[in-house]
Amino acid sequence: MNPERGFARWSHRALLLALAAAFVLPFLWLISASLQPEGKALGRGLFAFPDGVHLENYPTALQIMGDPKVLIFNTVVLTLACVLGQLFCCSLAGYAFARLRFRGRDTLFLLVLATMMLPPQVLAIPQFLLFKEFGLIDTFGPLILPTVLGGAPFFIFLFRQYFLTIPHELAEAARMDGCGFFATYWKVMLPLARPVVGTVAVFTFLATWNDFWAPLIYLNSEDKQTLTLALATFNQTYRIAVEWLMAGTAVVLAPCVLVYFLSQKFFLRGVRLSAGKG
Amino acid sequence: MASLLFVAAAAQEPAELKVLIHERHFYAFPALEQVAREFEAAHPGVRVHVLSSASAAGAHEKTRFMLAGGIPLDVTWIDVTELAAYLAEDVLVDLQPYFDADPGWNPDDYFPQVLDGMRDARRHLYGLPSTFTPYVMYVNETLLAREGLAVPPDWSWEQFHELCRRATRENQWGLELTLWLQPLAPWIWQNGGRFLDEHGRCALDEPAAVEAIAFLHRLVHQEQVARPVPFEGQIQFGLFQAGKAAFYGPVGYWETYRFQSIREFEWDVVPLPRHKEAATAIAMRFYCVPAVSRHPQLAYQFVRALGGDAMQRELARIGNGVPGLKRAAASADFLKPGVAPESEHVFLDVLPAARFLPVLSNWKEIEELTKAEFQDCLLLGKTSPAEACARVAAATNDFLDREADLRRRPFLPGWLFAAALCSGAAALAGALLGALRRRPARLAAREERAAWLFLAPWAAGCALFLAGPAAVSLLLSLSEWSPLRPLSAARWMGLDQYRRLAGDATFQDSVRVTAQYALFAVPLQLIAALGLALLLNRRFRGRNAFRTLFYLPTILSPVVLGAVWRWMLDADDGLFNDALACAGVRGPDWLGDPSWILPAFVLLSLWTVGAQMLVFLAGLQAVPPSLQEAARIDGAGAWRRLWHVTLPAISPLLLLNLVAGIINAFQLFAQPYVMTQGGPGNESRFLALYLYEQGFRFLRMGYASTLAWALFLIVLALTLLVLRSSTRWVHYAGAPR
Repeated sequence: MNPERGFARWSHRALLLALAAAFVLPFLWLISASLQPEGKALGRGLFAFPDGVHLENYPTALQIMGDPKVLIFNTVVLTLACVLGQLFCCSLAGYAFARLRFRGRDTLFLLVLATMMLPPQVLAIPQFLLFKEFGLIDTFGPLILPTVLGGAPFFIFLFRQYFLTIPHELAEAARMDGCGFFATYWKVMLPLARPVVGTVAVFTFLATWNDFWAPLIYLNSEDKQTLTLALATFNQTYRIAVEWLMAGTAVVLAPCVLVYFLSQKFFLRGVRLSAGKG
Repeated sequence: MASLLFVAAAAQEPAELKVLIHERHFYAFPALEQVAREFEAAHPGVRVHVLSSASAAGAHEKTRFMLAGGIPLDVTWIDVTELAAYLAEDVLVDLQPYFDADPGWNPDDYFPQVLDGMRDARRHLYGLPSTFTPYVMYVNETLLAREGLAVPPDWSWEQFHELCRRATRENQWGLELTLWLQPLAPWIWQNGGRFLDEHGRCALDEPAAVEAIAFLHRLVHQEQVARPVPFEGQIQFGLFQAGKAAFYGPVGYWETYRFQSIREFEWDVVPLPRHKEAATAIAMRFYCVPAVSRHPQLAYQFVRALGGDAMQRELARIGNGVPGLKRAAASADFLKPGVAPESEHVFLDVLPAARFLPVLSNWKEIEELTKAEFQDCLLLGKTSPAEACARVAAATNDFLDREADLRRRPFLPGWLFAAALCSGAAALAGALLGALRRRPARLAAREERAAWLFLAPWAAGCALFLAGPAAVSLLLSLSEWSPLRPLSAARWMGLDQYRRLAGDATFQDSVRVTAQYALFAVPLQLIAALGLALLLNRRFRGRNAFRTLFYLPTILSPVVLGAVWRWMLDADDGLFNDALACAGVRGPDWLGDPSWILPAFVLLSLWTVGAQMLVFLAGLQAVPPSLQEAARIDGAGAWRRLWHVTLPAISPLLLLNLVAGIINAFQLFAQPYVMTQGGPGNESRFLALYLYEQGFRFLRMGYASTLAWALFLIVLALTLLVLRSSTRWVHYAGAPR
């Protein structure tokens, strides 16, 4: 990029910092609330500790959540499987919708959009009955299978929209070089779509990591619990143990943030590569 | 007796009891585990599997799913207001024969009022209490003493009224009033009112009930000595807790636990003030055995253990509620000398006058419906007490008629649902056969076959996991079914379900609220996301950190979001109002004032635009720098470059975010579910929330499906409109040909 002039540069930084403050405040409060004594997390200001700092909320929260080794292992396995499944299914479908000609394509694409609009709350019970017929209750199947087969319509949409922005000439060139449909997709188009691959991977990673509803419904055994499901322990009928919930959230969130932050390097390199080629 | 045979059989073969119980209290779970282990020790060969999400939120839904799916479940718990619904669906084991056959059973060990709540019309007993609570009044004694006031013994409405008046001053109120049906009931009963007349019709429009509501209406609106709790969200921090109300109630025992952390003032509990007659309501949960249990005798024994001394004392000790076992309630475990409140005995003293609300099947729906009407009157002042009572009575009677009508409807054959569930797979097979039979020109055929291979994983999943369930839900939308039963218990309603939408005021409210929200949230989110993406779309140090930061809020769970937001939007100590105060503006009561509740949700939605921002960013980074450069050389300013170069280049992603934004706005569920439960009135009852309530709380999965398809049609129409218009403003570099 071009070097910026002083004023533009500083106003840009100032605006960013102001926005960052608005976004980071709630997290500061999260940390602050996680250090309050039992029952005091709400109704206290930011980093005001008239009753002292209660670091012991962290070990308490962890202890209540269960065996961390099991929780982390399950969550990581589940998350990776879902990310791979989602990328596999959605990039293929998105590519077909964007770049291949076949009868009924537009109708079918509308169908993809339509599946996005079905309220999940009402499909949940029929889906549950279906997975029960397949004998998959209390396995990871109901959580992973729908990503490998099916995928999220939003990601298919995202891939399609992105593939559409890539000029035709590149694919034509590949075709001239003798690439088949799959080779064009795999060797030319997918590398160009790295920003979207990264985006979808991050979205799926975080969505799976944070999903609480599906594990709650489908998993029963202790050895199949996930981190986020364990977090829900703090949510009671008449009282949410806010201080423990915040401590637990901080712990569950930390690796997530770290992975996301570190993955950006890889993610950015992909972006530069594709920008250079484009 | 048959049950004795059961014991003999159970003793021989190893059995597993599946237990799903969700107590109010945190430490109830270890207590439950303890009882389970002791039960295993006393019954060799028996394993008690306490489902691990038992103390998690959503255990309620989990129970529904397990019962609907016919998954074995041996012991669970239900709320006493749900008993009639469970009985109507015949999904509980009648435990009376087991009690009769049990030589150790003595009903006098328990409070008779409490056991009566768990009996059916034949007075058969269906379970044992976990803990219960009558509704009482909480008192801020420090505040009253400061004002030179005290609660007289056996106080009347007049004395209560006088105390409220004298305790009110700037930023301090006499009463923080709870507004759902159970706490409103005592006022109505005390004035001689009743819920149902002798014909089983709603009698809330009778003068006695109207007068009671008018009394409260006067306290809130004319004299302004009482402030109602705006809604029953899960994250509460009210006036009383902040030391700004002399009284809080009517409310149950559970608050004593929440108030343990109060250090700033002394508080206690007193009986409700009395009027023409003494009365209060009881809330209770009890342990019971679902009909799907494979070991009812063992399950009964486990229920006995749960209702036994050890568990009851432990529940009392940790503060879960009032134990139903008299011995435990009389023990120091419950009375807790030296720990606030001083007067735990009040919860026992008021028992003789305590009653349950009339138990009707699907009471939950009546409760929700009346709550919204009473909030319209007492909280929002939109209706007069007489109007509110008349509307409640009319709506309730309407509802009772509908329930009676439902029982006359024919059953749907169960195979129909099985067929619907499999229809997706059948459609897939049909489509494939159809595609294979036609033979178009050669080159096109190769491309077409490739396309179908690319689409295969999606199509398979769509057919298997989506088409079938969608067909079932479509069928359900034309029938009525309780998720407590197998699908074969569904009854055919036909288009009546859709006709009902036209007369359903709650549905119309929720459409209005949702549309208003979408109208503001969707465009503002797009602007915010694009703005952030543009700020980040250049190279500078710390850019990754900023991007991570802006994305972070989207990954917080709704509960955490809700708690954070509850704090930020607090009327008095919240961040927003503090900031506004710095600017000299007095901020509104965001979550309590009905005209500010939608702006609050819109604000929250702006805070979670991270995903849309990432999508834009991915698009911006693919805009070739050469394009920007060319425009710059042509002398285009920053705004013109944005308008003529950047926006057209990312317009496909703009379309994506717009469509996704509309869909997300119309499906907004988790935030209102956690934060407001739809209140105040219906002002945050978004469509998806109402749909969820119908399906999972009111057990009307059929009507919930009807609502879902109505929601689907609304969103579909909007999306098609957007897509139709998009040909004018979306530019594709590699457009489909």
